Amino acid sequence: MRLLQVTLRSSLLYSLVVVLISIPVSIFSVRELLNEEVDEALALHTDQFLNHIQNFSYLDDLETDLEVVDQLSYDVDIKPSNGRAPLKDYQSVSIYDSAEQDFRPFRELSSGVDIKGKHYILTMRMSLVDNNELLVAIGLVQSALIILLATGLLLLNRSLSRKLWEPFYRTLNQLKAYQLDKNEPIRADRTNIIEFDDLNSTVSHLTDRNRKVFLQQKEFIENASHELQTPLAIFQSKLDMLMQKPAITESEAQIIMELEATAQRMSRLNKNLLLLSKIDNEQYNDKEEMELSSVIEGMLTELRPMADVENIIITTTTQHLKIDANKTLIEVLLTNLFHNAIRHNVREGRVMVNLNKRTLTVANTGKAVNMNVEKMFDRFSKESMNKNSTGLGLAIVKRICDTSAYTLHYTFENGMHTFTIVF
Amino acid sequence: MKILIIEDEKELVKSMAEFLRQENYVCETAYSAHDAEDKILLFDYDCILLDINLPDGSGLRILEKLKENNKSDGVIIITANNSLEDRVLGLNLGADDYLAKPFFLPELSARVSAIIRRKQFGGSNKLAFREINIDLPGKIVKVNNTEVDLTRKEYDLLMFLLANKNRVVSKNAIAEHLSGDNAELLDKFDFLYSHIKNLKRKLADAGSEDYIKTVYGLGYKFSV
Repeated sequence: MRLLQVTLRSSLLYSLVVVLISIPVSIFSVRELLNEEVDEALALHTDQFLNHIQNFSYLDDLETDLEVVDQLSYDVDIKPSNGRAPLKDYQSVSIYDSAEQDFRPFRELSSGVDIKGKHYILTMRMSLVDNNELLVAIGLVQSALIILLATGLLLLNRSLSRKLWEPFYRTLNQLKAYQLDKNEPIRADRTNIIEFDDLNSTVSHLTDRNRKVFLQQKEFIENASHELQTPLAIFQSKLDMLMQKPAITESEAQIIMELEATAQRMSRLNKNLLLLSKIDNEQYNDKEEMELSSVIEGMLTELRPMADVENIIITTTTQHLKIDANKTLIEVLLTNLFHNAIRHNVREGRVMVNLNKRTLTVANTGKAVNMNVEKMFDRFSKESMNKNSTGLGLAIVKRICDTSAYTLHYTFENGMHTFTIVF
Repeated sequence: MKILIIEDEKELVKSMAEFLRQENYVCETAYSAHDAEDKILLFDYDCILLDINLPDGSGLRILEKLKENNKSDGVIIITANNSLEDRVLGLNLGADDYLAKPFFLPELSARVSAIIRRKQFGGSNKLAFREINIDLPGKIVKVNNTEVDLTRKEYDLLMFLLANKNRVVSKNAIAEHLSGDNAELLDKFDFLYSHIKNLKRKLADAGSEDYIKTVYGLGYKFSV
């Protein structure tokens, strides 16, 4: 549910409650107001009527006339009274209306008057608005109000969510598209809304800081690998010197070779780490056009003798494909794929390299891997006990594909590991 | 033959100098760019081993200085930073070769001897070791005038061993020299053994003495 829908729901609910409460309140107050007005009018009419009577007090048969008035006038009753009548008495009554054949509400004012020494009760009467009608009228008005409110709020909400929240969604989309390793900081325009400007500046600040930390870390990896090269060189040179000593025993020779193998492993690890951070630091940007099939054939010619040791047969079917890419990266990519296919193979296995249109597949026989396919491309995730494997080869392949926008795909079917790259 | 090693890591310089002296090269050392500048202006060297990252400035400055003074000393750049830009820049400034740290000392020795041969004899030179004669430009190997038909790898192997005469060269160093990065695929050295075996057989068939000695557990040594 969107934020504006929540606020809309609350305001709609609140308006509904207010409108519903307002119906009886309105009826009550309108009724009171009307009664007051009618009462004033009744008092006035009574006064006027009595004034008129005073003017006609010379008439002898006034008594009869009053009787006639009582009979003829619907709104006026004047009847002789025996005792002392109340001075003034207002009350609401319901009287049967023969024309409408229904009881209708009336307001009455009964007053005791003396005319020519005789006591009368004068009752003035005015019709009131029917309660039901009032209810219906007010109900209609309030319903119209609800409808107007609801549609108004809905329309407002719609235009608001589009306009008001636009900067928010813009920032959100930027955040969704944000990649730490890409060189684009998040920069939002000023919106004149304090909250959004606050959000945007916080987001830029956060991403800038993350990026800075990320760059420092990348730089650190590169520097660390770089700094290790010299001690490694010293180490190797000392081993080379040690080998020249006369009368080295068999067991000493074995230790020296083990040290050398370890030095080689460190050196390879370091070289690959350096390569990875250089790819990350975009140090391989120069592109040139190259014929991929001939690069592949050239490499495989060098690799065949290595594969022959394990009686692995390499077969290729390639079509011509010219690509625009960084030569070093392409060589590293292919070397790592081919090395992987030969290293994780079986004796008398096969490697099949196929370049068709823009798709390169490198398939090799081999044992199934237990690790997750996703994990396979992570750094230092390796299954083999092979000491020459650094666990970085496929991570480098993945990095190169990512930075060059090639798609990389791996499957294992019928005992064949297949890597597919679309250039 | 005079070699100048310009490198600030003293321990590395010590090993390099000691290893190269076994080949009867005269090795001088400079631990800073400032030191090195004085030396290159005063003396001529057959080969200069130049570390790019020196404490008092980039080694590339030395290359510029050599060029300014029309010096034709052979230069091998040695650097911890195996980047393409550095390599291209160095070679453009007149360096002859480029070696990334860490390296095997026999590899260094092979590069040095290749540079010196090229600088000294120009294009048409020959190398001789007892009854073995090598025509370098044509890559033709003869034993007492009998031509030995070697594959490219076998020829490279022979040259590598010759450049490291009388010194033990480890199997790893040979494998890397012959196969470069592909050497890391070689779990065992069967590949190398067959090249050594073939080279020894071909030389022996042509009437050569067996100079390639196996140093048990370590590698090989080319010696009388």
